[in-house]
Amino acid sequence: MTDRRGREALIEAAAGAFRPRRPGGGVGPSPAWHDLDPDGREEAFAAAALSRRLEAALDPEGLSSTARAVLARIRR
Amino acid sequence: MAELDVHLPRIADGDAAAFGAWLGAAEPALRESLRRFAAQADVEAVLQEALLRVWQVAPRVEPDGRPNALLRLAVRVARNLALDEARRAGFRAPADEVELTALLDRLAGAAAPEPPDPLLRRLIAACRAKLAAKPRAALDARLQSGGSEPDAALAAALGMRLNTFLQNVGRARKALAECLRRGGAALPEQVP
Repeated sequence: MTDRRGREALIEAAAGAFRPRRPGGGVGPSPAWHDLDPDGREEAFAAAALSRRLEAALDPEGLSSTARAVLARIRR
Repeated sequence: MAELDVHLPRIADGDAAAFGAWLGAAEPALRESLRRFAAQADVEAVLQEALLRVWQVAPRVEPDGRPNALLRLAVRVARNLALDEARRAGFRAPADEVELTALLDRLAGAAAPEPPDPLLRRLIAACRAKLAAKPRAALDARLQSGGSEPDAALAAALGMRLNTFLQNVGRARKALAECLRRGGAALPEQVP
């Protein structure tokens, strides 16, 4: 895998909505986000913002995967 | 136009569906309020944690007579979490109270953020149908998981390697965004 492809994969991973639980509870950060440089983190933010808008527009209830992840946690 | 606090009484009563309705409208503005922290803290994690805390404190929120009290509280909670995360990571991350106050005033004077309009919904559904099979499968897997499963599990379920899955997610987003632009839809972000 080229460096460029590796960087793009990290950006896509950080732009997703899945986040692990912290050992003591709470929402933990994405490991991929930690591996990105500052420009990559900005790109991941932009990709996430666009993705969430697209997801909400595709969802019958207008919810993004961020909203769904939060609702899943409060319903547990 | 109604403002987002129309949902507050039901949210305070523990109605998760009402919180979902509020979330659908509030999320873009809340995420945008964290843009300046994008290089210093994982905004997605901060945002989710802030929303969970807002859900917990919502029963104690007293409207102050101005619109969007819950959204303004969420902005403060998220900002404080982002500052904590940034400082923990070694950034100086000064609190910009002037900018925060201006943002809160704008939200207090604003109508409710608009949900996706029906025309955009129809257009994006048509664009999704035109996606190539693998990008569409990756996108659908993320949508169906609702942020509750790691990408490695989604990739494995599709028989894809993780990096292939991630490439397909990116291709799907770019193709959707391009298709929407060709259809005349305004998008909030440049495609990275």
